[in-house]
Amino acid sequence: MAEIGTDRWVDEVERRRSESGALGRLGQILSRRWLAVFVVVALVYPFVVGGDFGIRVGVNALLLALLALGLNVVVGYAGLLDLGYVAYYGLGAYGYAFLSSDQFGIHAPTLLVVAIVAIVVFLVGALLGQPARRLVGDYLAILTLFFLQAFIELALNLDRLQLPFVDGPLSITGGPNGISGVSPMEILGFRLGQVRDYYFLLLVLVVAVAVGLGNLERSRTGIAWRAIREDTLAAEQMTIPTGALKVIAYATGATIAAVSGTIFAAVQLGVFPQNFTVALLIVVYAALILGGEGSIAGAVLGALIIAMVPELLRTPTGARFLFYGGLFVGSVALLRPWRRLAWVAGGVMAVGVVAKVIVMTLWPAVAAGEGGGLFDRWLIRFDPSAVTLVNVLFVVMIVLVLAAIALRAPWRRDPLIVLAAYTLVLVWENRLVETPSITRQLLFGALLVVLMAVRPYGLLGRRRVEVV
Amino acid sequence: MAVLELRGLTKRFGGLLVVDGLDLVVREGEIVSLIGPNGAGKTTVFNLISGIFPPDDGDILLEGSSIVRLAGHEIAARGVARTFQTLRVFLNMTVAENVVVAEYARGRVGILRSILGTPAARREARQLRADAEQRLGFFGKRLVGYRFDQPAYSLSYANRRRLEIARAMATGARMLLLDEPAAGMNPAETHEISRLIGRLRDDLGYTILVIEHDMHVVEGISDRVAALDHGVKIAEGSFEEVASDPAVVEAYLGKGDAIAK
Amino acid sequence: MEFLLQQVVNGLTLGSVYALIALGYSMVYGILKLLNFAHGDVYMVGAFAGYAVLVGLGGPADPRVPLAVLFLLMFLAAMLVSGALGVAIERFAYRPLRNAPRIAPLISAIGVSFFLQNAALLVLGARFRTYGTAKMIDPGTGLHWGPLRISLVRIIVIVSAVLLMVALQVLVKRTRLGKAMRATAIDREAATMMGIDVDTIIIVTFFIGSVLAGAAGVMVGLVFSRVYHFMGFVAGLKGFTAAVIGGIGSIPGAMLGGLFIGFAESFSAAYISSTFQNLIVFLILIAFMLIRPWGLLGTPELVKV
Repeated sequence: MAEIGTDRWVDEVERRRSESGALGRLGQILSRRWLAVFVVVALVYPFVVGGDFGIRVGVNALLLALLALGLNVVVGYAGLLDLGYVAYYGLGAYGYAFLSSDQFGIHAPTLLVVAIVAIVVFLVGALLGQPARRLVGDYLAILTLFFLQAFIELALNLDRLQLPFVDGPLSITGGPNGISGVSPMEILGFRLGQVRDYYFLLLVLVVAVAVGLGNLERSRTGIAWRAIREDTLAAEQMTIPTGALKVIAYATGATIAAVSGTIFAAVQLGVFPQNFTVALLIVVYAALILGGEGSIAGAVLGALIIAMVPELLRTPTGARFLFYGGLFVGSVALLRPWRRLAWVAGGVMAVGVVAKVIVMTLWPAVAAGEGGGLFDRWLIRFDPSAVTLVNVLFVVMIVLVLAAIALRAPWRRDPLIVLAAYTLVLVWENRLVETPSITRQLLFGALLVVLMAVRPYGLLGRRRVEVV
Repeated sequence: MAVLELRGLTKRFGGLLVVDGLDLVVREGEIVSLIGPNGAGKTTVFNLISGIFPPDDGDILLEGSSIVRLAGHEIAARGVARTFQTLRVFLNMTVAENVVVAEYARGRVGILRSILGTPAARREARQLRADAEQRLGFFGKRLVGYRFDQPAYSLSYANRRRLEIARAMATGARMLLLDEPAAGMNPAETHEISRLIGRLRDDLGYTILVIEHDMHVVEGISDRVAALDHGVKIAEGSFEEVASDPAVVEAYLGKGDAIAK
Repeated sequence: MEFLLQQVVNGLTLGSVYALIALGYSMVYGILKLLNFAHGDVYMVGAFAGYAVLVGLGGPADPRVPLAVLFLLMFLAAMLVSGALGVAIERFAYRPLRNAPRIAPLISAIGVSFFLQNAALLVLGARFRTYGTAKMIDPGTGLHWGPLRISLVRIIVIVSAVLLMVALQVLVKRTRLGKAMRATAIDREAATMMGIDVDTIIIVTFFIGSVLAGAAGVMVGLVFSRVYHFMGFVAGLKGFTAAVIGGIGSIPGAMLGGLFIGFAESFSAAYISSTFQNLIVFLILIAFMLIRPWGLLGTPELVKV
């Protein structure tokens, strides 16, 4: 019996820690040394993958990681909702293009270009970030969203400027066609001619930024940012210059984005307005949120997942692997006990066989599609001309899936799960597998919704207590 | 020597006159209590002093110079720190971080050096942490040790109040504005917080302006008491003088016949 | 003079559409403090639902029912489908997130938006579809009053929009349901304590907002003819701008904001430059955010310390 007034929980902390076991210990090591693990994996990756395509995917992943890290400073540290972030990525890319292409006939040395772009964008960010001093949450989000829209409009339309003292229309941004013929980077005499070169350059940058931000996180600035995010008013009252620090966070994030933009322009050897869309902004946010905002490791992890998983969807084999893999994992996780899982799986196949028999008897022409293998017995393959039917099935599938989520009672729910799963596979095999670009977006959208419902704090984020 | 002086302080919200020509002087090493019924304007006075919004008329002098036009963080850096009626600790930050962050103005290392993680930056971080631990030690063993790195939301209510005071102290202030420090505490905790406030003055030399409703606390700690009602100072003096002032009694309890019923 | 009047008519038409879309944004924000980025795609689905009815009943070339009936059915279909979609989105994408951090419903909304746009792309393909209004109503018919010329289609659009907005105002100001909606928007927790079923009120709000968006979709189809899977994006953005400029959370504000943006767009396209017409609208919004973020009819939020 403990004495009244002592804190047993506190006293027993050491005992609890030592009891966490081997897996817990591995987790602790991984969370401290994650950066080393990441570097090792990233160094090995190009040799494992080989081929230009794989390395380009890697480059995209690293660019996304940089962007997520920069956004983390603005959103995760200072708590500013910046929906215009991608505009700075664009500014960096266009800035590099202005100074390293034939657009204005300037081909300055790379390091100088990047330095100029970084400084200019920092100042622009400091200027455009001034409203963040006063504007609260949603209003700031709206304002920054429209910064991005304004940027896109300018990029699209600044190619036909009629100035009074200049002959002919002046093109600054190259309009919808952008600027091509951007020179590759050249650093300290070494010309980055291959995609692989940029991959390693980006890897160095990601590590540098991650380390730098880690230091910043623990410094008084980093803690001050977090205080601003927690309670701006209280922070201001505790000697923290909230206005100035918010602007600095905003400008720092912008600068990181801009530097990433310069590398993007160099890799792509060009820059086009279509590169900088709200869709890209969402991808960066998704990467940050998936990993858990406020967490550097999370930002990198989220970026890697979001950049690489969709690539699996490019080939039908990869896509099927992902789809059925996900279905399998989901079923095993959600349908317990084993007997229930067996019932549902059996039900799906039974429904399939019955449906196929019915359809083949009554409307043989419809089910004349090709394809065989594992599914032949119980899956209907529609004739390519039955487009409307598949469309209708698509809508029906969505309704069934939603209904299966909404209903609670198992005896009502399980038949719906069977039907939903069956139509899901049906639509997948008959349509979705063949349109990878659309399917990828569909899955991405669905993933975002599910992710928020299940784990709004992300994979590595910590649960926050919000005072409303 | 006057640390804080309010001269003719006036504030309106729309058509409502919340503070009306308030004059008050707080001298060094004093504990002055501000009392009055709810809605009397006491917290508004605190908000005016700490710079959350500017007064419509009048002046606020800290050690002789006006602080009315300054931003909140500048006022705090000049030596006036406060706690909040509704308790605004940084819940998702650790106890240590809550205290360290308040020392922001006294840090010297810039952002660039922080990013690079120079030895100077690391030294300063260690120093700040050690300072924080020392400050929290003032409150006994409750907030140091294991609790030091726990998030503030895991603390009990009384501990959060203590943390808020420690945070205010960490700003390097010489004057503290405590807004209902004993609110929501049981008698034992109330007694302890009274003694704590006394020790802040006696051992550490703070000048303190306190808003409080619990008259036992007010009686126990105050050198002087000022009573406010509808934004106007209606009495000032020792606790006995103010407590027996008929205007004060009326403000709290209403006119004579109401009590009889 | 005729040109100016034409722009006024254009502004009114555009403004009515934007106002209807803006109302959905404002109402949802008023109740949930949520920016419903999927709203533009609800509008798009409405436009396509109207299209489906149009084609199903014989298409622009050979309608099987009288025009008035056809239009009525198109509107009804669009409004019902959009309304149902809006309710479904609330149920599955937002309700689980009532207590999640502020950014979660935003991300979810965007996920829904992606999904809807691509679902439309999958089902309908990337081609534009046209309402072919010119085949149903001779473009020349309409009001001719001196220099003023308004085509019949635009009259239909403006009148229907006004009717819907008046109906909404009556609902919100004169009925018990409207009172409950207003109360929930002011203080959700207090509303539950007063016996208001907040979940139902939220469903109703989403339904009404989406119904209006669906109607707007059909209107756009009738006036501008083209409907395509991406149309929700820009219209949604401008409707959102209208809601914010008018004062987000305010119903009369949304209407006013819609008209404002409609006129701004028409006049800037006609008199300044049509290349930069979008940019001008965005710059107007930026200016508002800097000078008067709570919009024309909103009130600045007072925070008690």
